[in-house]
Amino acid sequence: MKTMLLRGLFGLLLTSLLASAYATTVHADELIVYSGRKDKFIKPLIEKFTSETGIKVVLHSAKSTALLNKLRVEGDRTTADLFISNDAGNLQTGRQLGLFASIDSKIANTIPTSLRAEDNSWIGLSARARVLVVNKNAKDIGFVKSVFDLADPRLKDRIAITHSGNGSFIAGVTVYQLSKDDAFVANWLKGMKKNTGSKLFSKHSKIVKAVAQGKKDVGLVNHYYIYRHLAKHPDAPISILLPDQGKDDIGVAWNVAGVAISKHSNKKVLAEKLVSYFVSAAGQAQFAGVNSEYPAREGIPAASQVPAAGSYKVADVPMTALGKHRIDTLNLLDKVGMP
Amino acid sequence: MSALEQTFVTEPAWPIKTWQSLQRKVGWLGLLATGIVAIAAVPLLFVLYSSSQLSLDGWQSLWSERLPELLWNTLSLAVLVAIGSFALGVSSAWLIARRQFAGRCLAIWLMVLPLTIPTYVFAHIYTIMFEDDGWIGSIWLAVFGNTVAIPDLYSIGGVTFILSIAGFSYVFLLVSSALEHSNPSLEEAARIQGLSPLQVFWHVNLPLLRPAIAAGLALVVLHVLSDFGAVSMLRYQTFTLSIYLQMEGRFDYQGAAGLSLVLVFLSLAFLVMERYSRRRQRYYATGTQQRRVSRRRATTTELGMIWTWLGLITLFAFLLPLAWMLEWSWQAWQDDVLDATFWGYVSNSLLVAAGAATIAIIAAFPVAFFHTRKRSTLSTSYIQLSSIGFVLPGPVIALGILSFILVVLAPLYGGMTALLMALVIRFLPLALQSQEASLQHLTPSIEQAGRILGAGPLENLRRVVLPMISNGMIVAWVLVFIDALKELPATLILRPTGFDTLPVRIWIEASEESLELAAPAALMLVVGTLPALWLMMRNNRQSGSSE
Repeated sequence: MKTMLLRGLFGLLLTSLLASAYATTVHADELIVYSGRKDKFIKPLIEKFTSETGIKVVLHSAKSTALLNKLRVEGDRTTADLFISNDAGNLQTGRQLGLFASIDSKIANTIPTSLRAEDNSWIGLSARARVLVVNKNAKDIGFVKSVFDLADPRLKDRIAITHSGNGSFIAGVTVYQLSKDDAFVANWLKGMKKNTGSKLFSKHSKIVKAVAQGKKDVGLVNHYYIYRHLAKHPDAPISILLPDQGKDDIGVAWNVAGVAISKHSNKKVLAEKLVSYFVSAAGQAQFAGVNSEYPAREGIPAASQVPAAGSYKVADVPMTALGKHRIDTLNLLDKVGMP
Repeated sequence: MSALEQTFVTEPAWPIKTWQSLQRKVGWLGLLATGIVAIAAVPLLFVLYSSSQLSLDGWQSLWSERLPELLWNTLSLAVLVAIGSFALGVSSAWLIARRQFAGRCLAIWLMVLPLTIPTYVFAHIYTIMFEDDGWIGSIWLAVFGNTVAIPDLYSIGGVTFILSIAGFSYVFLLVSSALEHSNPSLEEAARIQGLSPLQVFWHVNLPLLRPAIAAGLALVVLHVLSDFGAVSMLRYQTFTLSIYLQMEGRFDYQGAAGLSLVLVFLSLAFLVMERYSRRRQRYYATGTQQRRVSRRRATTTELGMIWTWLGLITLFAFLLPLAWMLEWSWQAWQDDVLDATFWGYVSNSLLVAAGAATIAIIAAFPVAFFHTRKRSTLSTSYIQLSSIGFVLPGPVIALGILSFILVVLAPLYGGMTALLMALVIRFLPLALQSQEASLQHLTPSIEQAGRILGAGPLENLRRVVLPMISNGMIVAWVLVFIDALKELPATLILRPTGFDTLPVRIWIEASEESLELAAPAALMLVVGTLPALWLMMRNNRQSGSSE
């Protein structure tokens, strides 16, 4: 009995080794995409692309930062052809580490210069806005016009923000840091820390839910989380507030999700096909559709419920800055002790 | 070619000389063990190398800014989880070992089943349950209204709760087996002298159980130190999480290595303490005549109390999470989202875990065998070096292996080699411990008898040694299999492209909040672990009754 068991184990070992040999075979016409974007917001596009072109795509999903680390350590051994991230900070960091190849300017030029790298080593595909979500029934909230008002003592225990490990939160703080100065932003963070107490949110969707249920009056989120909640609960008493729209105000912070081609990919032609599909009118419309984001390409409208791009003021910070100043922001958050 | 041979014969190059002298000193077995230990030490070498690159300023800023807080966070968590696991594990083990009651066999199973649920699944499920509209949150609000706030899991208390229910089973297993094998005469003598049962427990059982408790708690503490899933979901900054963030968010590998080095020293201190306490175990075990422990039948009141306590433990440590998984899996089943890809994740997971477990027991054998045969400083240090997997955080092991393979074995990169290697190194200590324990029964005279009767070394190994330790081998395989099946951080980093396992999917789906997809994956982890657990429990019972 026991020897049989042991033999069985050796058999298993053999099978697993064979299986591993099988798993390592990479097909010549297959694209490998490291994707830090949520599966359900990228899979529909990939499937459409494969059905139209017949090019197979393997999606390797994980956190953007983890994948960037993987690309960096792998160096020229990487099997990745493309890298997709939902944070311009990551994309720009990858560029600074020299991990990406330039994308053909014919493809890149469809995207406005502010939403891509100077050398086209990465391009933005869809943009998200850092906005406030407000409970319509909240009292004494009229004075809130700016994200910086979240530090106002009048909002004690009434605001909802994510913890400072959240990529969107970090990118937002970078924009504020570049629009104001470090001391100002540090004070703002300290004020918010006082207002939240220990109750921080792990997810943006939970912030919207808490505001909708009236547990909190105002929250700082990416705009599409509001529409995602409204799609499920059309009667939720929440509305979007575009912050910092006054004459001297900094405007709304934007961030982009984007794509880059690995410097060590040997399938650049195929990879560029996928990128051109992403920036095509059809692909861009899909980005607007799956997640209510702003298509990066000009002239493709966002979903109708979303405030139109160009109808409000956006902070004048190029997306590349999100990578260049990322470490500064992390240091500032550490210094303040933002939880 | 012949010219080359010529030079070898007349003047061996230095590597060959060293090789020959090594072989003379430690034998083939020793060489094999040396090779395996060298591979197991790769992540440690990576840490040593990377942290040696850290400048003095880097060390100073780590020392002044990060370390005090991290040390306090990590140590206080370890102490609290140790207390929690002690309370749950020792109490349940004592009740089950000393009382005969209806459903006792079921109770044993219920205390071990939490091992099938990984910490990140516990953390994920309980954060949802403790929300206002979650199962526990809504009951809480109904009972207390808004007067008492719902406990916040994103705190040291929450992390302690999660890690205690996830880890107490180790204490339970070790303590109940020690209780089964302890000498009842001592307890009876104490009772005759007029001590109450509680006094007997404090003055007789507890001191005798100290080695088992220490071993169990050391296992729990090592799991706390290396836990990645729960602390990162609950954002509690321990060394492991902080090392991960340092690497991932800041690309600061040297800082991460510096922190890892401190963690290594911390964990080694625990390991040394555990070894020290186990040294006494031998003393206790010698000279006692073996007599079966008789269990007293529980009275009706006792029965009620026993099941209230055990029921409460199992409710939180297994039944509630299971019910949650079933509910959402049912939802997923109805929505028809469990397609072929999902079953692909299941088979990927089983394959990787089985492969890692098999390689681990094969790799552990020479090291354990070498140690039992020679018992030298060298062999002891081999055992300690192989414990490195338990001491280093998963992300660091993964990075070490990744760098090693890219530099040394580059052609193998991209397949399963890196993943399997990391899993084997991580869980080698588990395999070693149980093999070492069973090899202790193997006295040299048994082997010598085999040799005298004419068996060659290989036949002796096959017909005498392996059959005698096959129980230990099976336990080792099961332990590694269970942990490898649940492993998250190294798998996240090292899995081949597009190769997703259940833990990876749970991680991804949980961060996307698609409960329908996370729940069936978690459920399949539980189901996948059950046969392995059954094998181990059956084995335990057999070895228990044969004595």
